[in-house]
Amino acid sequence: MPSLNGSDPGLDLVALRRRLAGTRGRDYWRSLEEAAGHPEFARLMSEEFPAAEGWSDASIDRRRLLQVMAACVALASVSGCGPEKTRKQLLPYIREPEGMVPAVPRFYATAATLGGFAEGVLVKHYQARPIKIEGNPDHPASLGATSHWSQALILSLYDPERSQMPLQRGVPASEQAFVSALFERRSELLRTHGRGLRILTGSVTSPTFAAQMAALLRTFPEARWHQWEAISREAVADGTTRAFGRPLDAVLHVDKADVLLAVGSDLLSWAPGHLRYARDFAAKRRATETGGRMSRVYAIEATPTLAGSVADHRLVLPPDDIMTALGSLAMAVKAAPEGFAPAPSPWLAAVARDLVAHRGAALVHVGPELPAEAHVLVHAINEALGARGHTLDMIEPVAVGAVNQLGSLGELARDMNAGAVDTLLILDVNPAFTAPADLEFAGALAKVPFAVHLGPYVDETASRCVWHLPATHDLEAWSDALAYDGTASIIQPQVRPLYLGRSAHEIVDLLQGSISPDGMALVQNTWRGRAPAGAPFDGFWRAALRRGVVPGTAAKPVDVPLRGDAAAQVKLPAGAPRETLTVLFRPDDGLWDGRFADNGYLQELPRWHTKLVWDNAALIAPRTAERLKLRGDDMVEIAQGGRTVQMPVWILPAQAENCLTLPLGFGRRVAGNVGHGTGFDLYPLRTSDTVWRAAGVSVKPTGRRYHLVSSQHEQTMAGRDMVISAPLDQFAHDPDFLHKMDRRDPEAPTRSIYPSYDYPRYAWAMAVNLNSCVGCGACVVACAAENNTPVVGKEEADRGRLMHWLRIDRYYSGEPDAPGTYFQPVPCMHCEDAPCEVVCPVQATMHDSDGLNVMVYNRCVGTRFCSNNCPYKVRRFNFFGFTRHDPRLPDAWNPDVTVRDRGVMEKCTYCIQRIREAEIAADREDRRVREGEVKTACQAACPTQAIVFGDMNDKQSAVAARKASPLDYQLLAELNTRPRTTYEAHLRNVNPELEEE
Amino acid sequence: MSRTADAAPILGPRASLADVTDRVCDVVVRQPAPLWWWVAVGLSGAFVVLLVVAASELFVVGIGTWGVNIPVAWGFALANYVWWIGIASGGTIISALFYLTGSEWRRATNRIAESMTLWGAACAGLMPIFHLGRQGLFYWLFPYPNVMGIWPQFRSPLLWDFFALICYIFASILFWYLGLVPDFASMRDRAPTTPWRVFYGLLALGWRGSASQWKTYQTVYGILACLLAPMVVSVHSIVGLDFSGGLVPGWHSLQFSPYFVFGAVYSGIATVLLLMIPVRRLYRLETYITGRHLNVLAKLMLVCGLMLTYSYGLEAFMPFYSGNIFDLHMFLNRLYGHYGATYWVKIALNCVLPQLLWFPAVRRSEILLMVLALSVIVGMWIERYIIVVTSLYQDFMPSAWYVYAGTVWDWSILLGSVGLFFTGFLVVLRFVPIVSISEMRETVHEHVGDRP
Amino acid sequence: MANGLGPGADLAVKVGLSAVALGLVCLGLWGWGGPWDDYSTQRNIVQPQPVPFSHRHHVSGLGLDCRYCHTAVEVSSNAGLPPVQTCMTCHSQIWTNATMLEPVRQAYATGKTLRWNAVNYLPDYVFFDHSIHVAKGVGCTTCHGPIGDMPLTWKSASLYMSWCLDCHANPAPHLRPHEAVFDPNWRRTPDTPSGEALLRAYHIHPETLTDCSVCHR
Repeated sequence: MPSLNGSDPGLDLVALRRRLAGTRGRDYWRSLEEAAGHPEFARLMSEEFPAAEGWSDASIDRRRLLQVMAACVALASVSGCGPEKTRKQLLPYIREPEGMVPAVPRFYATAATLGGFAEGVLVKHYQARPIKIEGNPDHPASLGATSHWSQALILSLYDPERSQMPLQRGVPASEQAFVSALFERRSELLRTHGRGLRILTGSVTSPTFAAQMAALLRTFPEARWHQWEAISREAVADGTTRAFGRPLDAVLHVDKADVLLAVGSDLLSWAPGHLRYARDFAAKRRATETGGRMSRVYAIEATPTLAGSVADHRLVLPPDDIMTALGSLAMAVKAAPEGFAPAPSPWLAAVARDLVAHRGAALVHVGPELPAEAHVLVHAINEALGARGHTLDMIEPVAVGAVNQLGSLGELARDMNAGAVDTLLILDVNPAFTAPADLEFAGALAKVPFAVHLGPYVDETASRCVWHLPATHDLEAWSDALAYDGTASIIQPQVRPLYLGRSAHEIVDLLQGSISPDGMALVQNTWRGRAPAGAPFDGFWRAALRRGVVPGTAAKPVDVPLRGDAAAQVKLPAGAPRETLTVLFRPDDGLWDGRFADNGYLQELPRWHTKLVWDNAALIAPRTAERLKLRGDDMVEIAQGGRTVQMPVWILPAQAENCLTLPLGFGRRVAGNVGHGTGFDLYPLRTSDTVWRAAGVSVKPTGRRYHLVSSQHEQTMAGRDMVISAPLDQFAHDPDFLHKMDRRDPEAPTRSIYPSYDYPRYAWAMAVNLNSCVGCGACVVACAAENNTPVVGKEEADRGRLMHWLRIDRYYSGEPDAPGTYFQPVPCMHCEDAPCEVVCPVQATMHDSDGLNVMVYNRCVGTRFCSNNCPYKVRRFNFFGFTRHDPRLPDAWNPDVTVRDRGVMEKCTYCIQRIREAEIAADREDRRVREGEVKTACQAACPTQAIVFGDMNDKQSAVAARKASPLDYQLLAELNTRPRTTYEAHLRNVNPELEEE
Repeated sequence: MSRTADAAPILGPRASLADVTDRVCDVVVRQPAPLWWWVAVGLSGAFVVLLVVAASELFVVGIGTWGVNIPVAWGFALANYVWWIGIASGGTIISALFYLTGSEWRRATNRIAESMTLWGAACAGLMPIFHLGRQGLFYWLFPYPNVMGIWPQFRSPLLWDFFALICYIFASILFWYLGLVPDFASMRDRAPTTPWRVFYGLLALGWRGSASQWKTYQTVYGILACLLAPMVVSVHSIVGLDFSGGLVPGWHSLQFSPYFVFGAVYSGIATVLLLMIPVRRLYRLETYITGRHLNVLAKLMLVCGLMLTYSYGLEAFMPFYSGNIFDLHMFLNRLYGHYGATYWVKIALNCVLPQLLWFPAVRRSEILLMVLALSVIVGMWIERYIIVVTSLYQDFMPSAWYVYAGTVWDWSILLGSVGLFFTGFLVVLRFVPIVSISEMRETVHEHVGDRP
Repeated sequence: MANGLGPGADLAVKVGLSAVALGLVCLGLWGWGGPWDDYSTQRNIVQPQPVPFSHRHHVSGLGLDCRYCHTAVEVSSNAGLPPVQTCMTCHSQIWTNATMLEPVRQAYATGKTLRWNAVNYLPDYVFFDHSIHVAKGVGCTTCHGPIGDMPLTWKSASLYMSWCLDCHANPAPHLRPHEAVFDPNWRRTPDTPSGEALLRAYHIHPETLTDCSVCHR
């Protein structure tokens, strides 16, 4: 029976003791301190030690408190041993919740947010216990897909290291104590009309929160609301404002773009709506499904992005040259006057011609890392290309008051230092870690007498504020949020807060004087006003909750004319001298701005291009490394304007010369056991005027070395056909070219000596389209979340023991300066003549009559011959009891999948649990499984529909169609293993003018 | 020279029936254990302790303490296994095959060889069990009626390897013990104290040396020899199958069976030499283990070395002949890749150095013989290491390539098993006649007659 | 005698050796048969329960349908354990003072639920699904034994894998018509359709039922 069902679960002392059992010395106390967070301790202490009553709000000697707690644990261990361990017990409900069927999952819609923007998700429940995140097909920003960040949500929901009780100056305190303190402040503030009251949040799209803030500012006219997102989209907003005269957001229609130019673009990686854009993008790249037509994609960038890596032509330029290039391009497409910029290079000229030739079907996208000028130029270019109304629309800004965040944060810091701020509410942001270094934000915090931090973890900011309150997890509280196109979603809690948690809404409501804030009421109030008049609100509300989107809230395009002088007003930079180095700050592929540092899945997700895990590094171009005499793993000191950081370098192909890319988010100083001590903190180098890039940087080797761990050690295909790539023309001329290049050894027999199987009922198979895959890694995390694969940590990863069932191989071809990049997801191939099956002495890996190569964990004795004999090396071995040492709560595992123990082999099963569930449901009704009833976790998460899964015996199925494609090929076909997983060859839609490049 | 070397007599000058028994028995039953014995036992015993520690660590913490990873999921354990089983087989060849050929020189050496086989096989037997992820469940490889209602998988080489190993170990024990029965009897009769008499008496199984007993004895011994000689070949063919049964480049080859048999005999004979030379000196058995024996074994070692070199040649030829890109990559990688050095060391130790054995002078020098024997033994371990590791670390998927290195625990297991081997051998040395008395008496009888 | 071994030594050794041999044989036999005795399988052993619930009384006596309490059996892998509320539907009216039922009333009042001891359960790596067995004509009593006649509940099958496989390899003899699935004392009668007929009717494919992946995921 799920312990979360009903009221607050209470601290499991048995579990705590188990945790403590393994720990010694410092760790013991550390674990205790974690536990200190839990309200249960307050109760327990008052029971066991009446004397300790009221300690928590007095500032008491910490050691003493810990001693007392140690005693509590000891006592608990005396009282905690009962018969329940000896026999397996069954606990019935008292009253069964309506419609609750044991062991049958239910799905509830909600939304996950990143940088304020919503991505619709469905949460899978077992007996009221969230188990897995899926995309919401009805949500425009998801269409059923999810990002790897959303997939990792479940892990963080159950993270035992989440903040678990309020802290006053670092000492556990009761929430009542805080509330009374807050009310005291409030009465004070009411007198002063809120002078000295400041609220700091991240970017906000929540209508409810916006309304609350508006109300709050009415109550406290002199209060101020500041916003800060470390991964700032300010250049976008600023550029748009300058181009159109007022703030607007662009909504792209990538599905209409036949020619796409991505300039330092985050289109496919983290732009609001990136999942949707990736979906539309991929749909235009699958030549076999579009009648041989394919969009052509160009990219100009200084450091590899996903968009750039899948582009047909990529031009690698240093940042300054990119501006100039945009200028030339603007000129070439008549968006800027002659002489506005140097004449375009042949490459640019060709691109310009191609863009102009596809007027109305062309689109240029530029990422937030380029300055506002770039955005102005691109708006002008798009206008000149007639993109508006076709490949993009302008809408009213989605985020609330998200202009000039940097300025407002600076102002806040100044006022704090000046002592003008006496009450500061920091809601779910971590400025002490992410604020620009020149603001000295952490220091300034000390000057605020009543600084309150609301956050899911005790982080850098929490530890510097007078008060810290545990924030509810995204899946624990009521809220609402808008998607990139303005579509609203209601965020409904999936579970009662596991720990004492408050949402930002509730805190603001408290400040408004409400005694018992009620998140649901707040959100409902917002939507009462907006619900269609006449119809009963209740119906509207339930519908919105069920679908996960509020119908008809997508923003309408607005027709604001572009300012005529938009392009002309732009000042192009004078090209900086070649030899000076530039650094580019980027969010980390996994940790984003650092907020996900405590999530093992994301720490261990191999980074898109470097394939690094558990670390960040200064990414540097091969030539530059050569010039600076640097090798990978060399520790360097990066200095700029008197600020320095030390970190290792990593040589990265397709990186622009003379600029280093620094992924932010690592090097967290105050974090849990997972996030602590991984990578290097780069914020100290990042100031208000160098948020995205800093020029004039000096890099000098320290002589020391560091050990970075990557999940892939060979960068090329070593002359083998792992990814088969060909120009679109070749496919056009001869669709069958692939089968003509015979990769099988003519001598080799085509049949196995063993009798072949026949598959009377189903023949499950997978097809991966390499023209769609953009390498984002959502599938990797989805697989881990679905299949209970453990997180192994840096050391084990370094020893070649990553447990990912699905990996994304990344290969380079050609010149290291501007190479071709190929992504290839590799799950188990489920060979029909599987080499692994014949060598297992105990029948632990077998063929089943659906053609699956199944793994029976409990039969495995661990000879590991199957892995040696697997040419695709997709098998993973539990060298240690990884799952035994996994800190996650028992509730966090997927009950449909066996949790593997030490010494057994495991691998991708095509999500056998989902297949069986569907087959059983079908068999109950005496029918066949229908197309689409089984989706593997990776397939469901994939934003680009690169992965298709289904029954080959059903000739109508999508997978059968893919297998019939002339581009379909088997990996290592020459081995005659007859894999069930096949790939669609990669095509490049090259521009003949640029062919010779 | 070679004539003189070959002409070395098979018996020393003072050989006589009585002398055989005295020399061989007295060191065991009459004299107290010499100092060198205690030192040696102490030393090897220390390594046994190391083995116990390493094994405990393995069972408690898990296979992860070793260097194995994905892609190189097999490492030291498999190399050790093949190495030990090879050493063991060498002994069997000498004692069984050359029994059948009726070679006279065997009589003085077979006891040493068999004892070596015994402990070599013991060490070999440990490795496959150690290397399992769940060691406790090794018996699942055995087809026995069980509540799961399933059988092991008979297509797997590992299964047959398991069978082969078990049969081989039992047969070796039997052969060794049977050969000992008459000697135990003579020990019984010469034992000074009753406890020893009872001890050897029980082991002698009531042997009286009657003609009828001898008749049966000879028959059974002959049959066992007939079984064991081919068994060496079968065991190693099956061990070879562990590799050639896989499709890994560097494994997937038909030559493994002969290749492994050559290698096995090679390392086996080297080990016999390594053990025989000191034993002969320490137990003053020069009369019965003469230059002739060393000479013969040295020649055998040379022959095996040449056969193995041929296999290496074939191994090098095939990738180029087939033109298979995976095999080519693997082979060139063996020569020049991350583990390139090991390959050249292997060639030096197994192919080049042993060529010295062409010179009779070398064959006469006990020191040089020991050095060469040792180098061969080391070389053969390296060979197995190369076969296991360099084939796996870069096979088909470039993205999965990764390197392997043994950890301190891998080395502990290896050294520990060496300790176990020597400890076992020393115990045999102490309690068992190390030259077959009955067979030596035959030799003496044939050469010098029944002179007292 | 001189060698310290008496004339009986030979005999003694022979006897000793044969004893050892015999011992090994016995060990083997025990290893073979041992797992099947009731102690190892827990078959026919009544587990202590907070309330001495009698299936005989409720099923055979009162004629309650299995599904009255085990509501999920037709739709879920888990047959479902009746919530305390279900007990109280009747026992708030009858036997309201029976001391035997005190724990139930307590649970209902306090909200601290009952703790039943599991009688039949499978290890975590086995995924058994009630619904499909019921749908394909496998009766409750096929696995749970004469549950309708159990005054207290005990396990009646070993639940060993070989036991599962016996049926999965050859389901026909164990199948019943749909209407008989929940009948605790159903017996095959001359006019019951044959197992093979039912096999066809239910579209059961025995050749697929022994796949490892049917139960292990």
